[in-house]
Amino acid sequence: MAYKKPLPKINADTREFWKGCEEHLLRFQKCTECGTVRWPPSFICPRCHSQTTEWITSTGRGLIYTFTVNHVAFDEAFQEDLPYVVAVVALEEGPHLLTNIVGCDPGVVRCDMPVEVVWDDVTDEISLPKFRPIS
Amino acid sequence: MNLKDKYAIVGVGYTPQGHVPERTMLSFHLEACANAIEDSGLRREDIDGLIIYRHFLPPMGEEDVTPYLLAQHLGVEPTYMTQDANCSRSHIQHAVGALESGLCNYVLLSFAHSGNSMSRNLMNRSGDAAVFGHFGASSGYAMAARRAMHEFHTGPDTWKHIAVGQRKWAHLNPRAVMHDKPMTYEDYYNAKWLVEPFRLPDNCLINDGGRACIITSTERARNLKHRLVTIMGMGQQNPSTDFQQATYLAGPTGARKAGETAFRMAGISIDDIDACEIYDCFTYTVEITLQDYGFFGPGEGEDWFSGGRIEPGGEMPVNTSGGQLSEAYHMGLTPLTEGAMQLMGRCGERQLGPTTDTKEPEIILCSDNGAILQTHSCYILRRW
Repeated sequence: MAYKKPLPKINADTREFWKGCEEHLLRFQKCTECGTVRWPPSFICPRCHSQTTEWITSTGRGLIYTFTVNHVAFDEAFQEDLPYVVAVVALEEGPHLLTNIVGCDPGVVRCDMPVEVVWDDVTDEISLPKFRPIS
Repeated sequence: MNLKDKYAIVGVGYTPQGHVPERTMLSFHLEACANAIEDSGLRREDIDGLIIYRHFLPPMGEEDVTPYLLAQHLGVEPTYMTQDANCSRSHIQHAVGALESGLCNYVLLSFAHSGNSMSRNLMNRSGDAAVFGHFGASSGYAMAARRAMHEFHTGPDTWKHIAVGQRKWAHLNPRAVMHDKPMTYEDYYNAKWLVEPFRLPDNCLINDGGRACIITSTERARNLKHRLVTIMGMGQQNPSTDFQQATYLAGPTGARKAGETAFRMAGISIDDIDACEIYDCFTYTVEITLQDYGFFGPGEGEDWFSGGRIEPGGEMPVNTSGGQLSEAYHMGLTPLTEGAMQLMGRCGERQLGPTTDTKEPEIILCSDNGAILQTHSCYILRRW
């Protein structure tokens, strides 16, 4: 069955990130001048404006910074998931990533809860990084 | 350059609002603008500045309303015009800047939309956030509100006072969409979750309609119809980080610095404020804005709001038209025009002073805020 939910828009800035996801690697840009790890991907470092960058692989672990429990499907493709959790996860390396919390009851989700990445292979090319509580 | 009290709001234009079928977005702009011109006592030919508020995507089957289109239909040829495209709330700064530099003499500021266009925006599924089922503004502010619940004592027990308190003001305002729809605390708690931690009454209204006002110099304003209401102070701050990366969701938001700037310009403190008209896209926005302005400390909101403080008869009236939660959503023009109308003494049953057992207002604090706390403007209005 075809995947009905929206897919990420891949462009020159984000391609490397989504290529990493395809291999189940959560990768972020790190400034080789000042060491700032940044997200979303960008041409320059927001701290020192350097253009030199390396891609590092995240441990995939972090803490839930904040979250919502969604009780209405604004896109009907999400109807079957209700209620579902959208969260911002603060990764160990620093970036804050919008994602879903899966593998647990929405009622147990808390801010600052430790989570780890799990991969949702939604199409042949696209794998979405989602997170589950670390038990 | 001292801008304190140098510019004034001289006219307000209303339209029918709520569910108003068979009306285009352009028609609401035109009605609001024509009414604002008439209300101020100016003539069409006097309008030489035109600013359109950032508005939502045009409704299906309609062209977007540009300043050109609005000017054409209003029959004006401005020497200054602009439109915001991304929700930054610099409109009053633009107006004052254009007036101060002599680019024009009378700025008409207009907002309009139809519910159709607003719904499309609230359910916006264009960005990558939609990949994870995150849509629109309710969800973004709900993220901020949740973080605040974690960092300090707040939540629905605090927000119910805002939703119910503003509804009481709406009962005194025949124009308010929720004028005849009472709400109790019980009703609030019984309302359905939309995006938890927000229930439906934590969200602003989705309505058709428009609103406009006119800004000119205090010198010119003295010759016009209404009691003089000047911009005593203003300040803006743009933290400019998407909620997905922002670490200020639980404050201090841009309201902190914007407020400090406005109070410094006005040369007053919050003790001098008689009432507040706060941008209230969501209940939490009212709490974090007043908290960042310094009315109470983090987590003290529940106590501060309880006991009817912001309601008719209360010591600090807030959102006296019913606000965006209970009157109508016209972006920052809902709070700003209500502040001006209260100070002009033109608010009928809801008029601050003896009519509502509140303090006669001399100074009112207004706020505007956009892009999920990325931009904030603070205005202090004063009557003469």
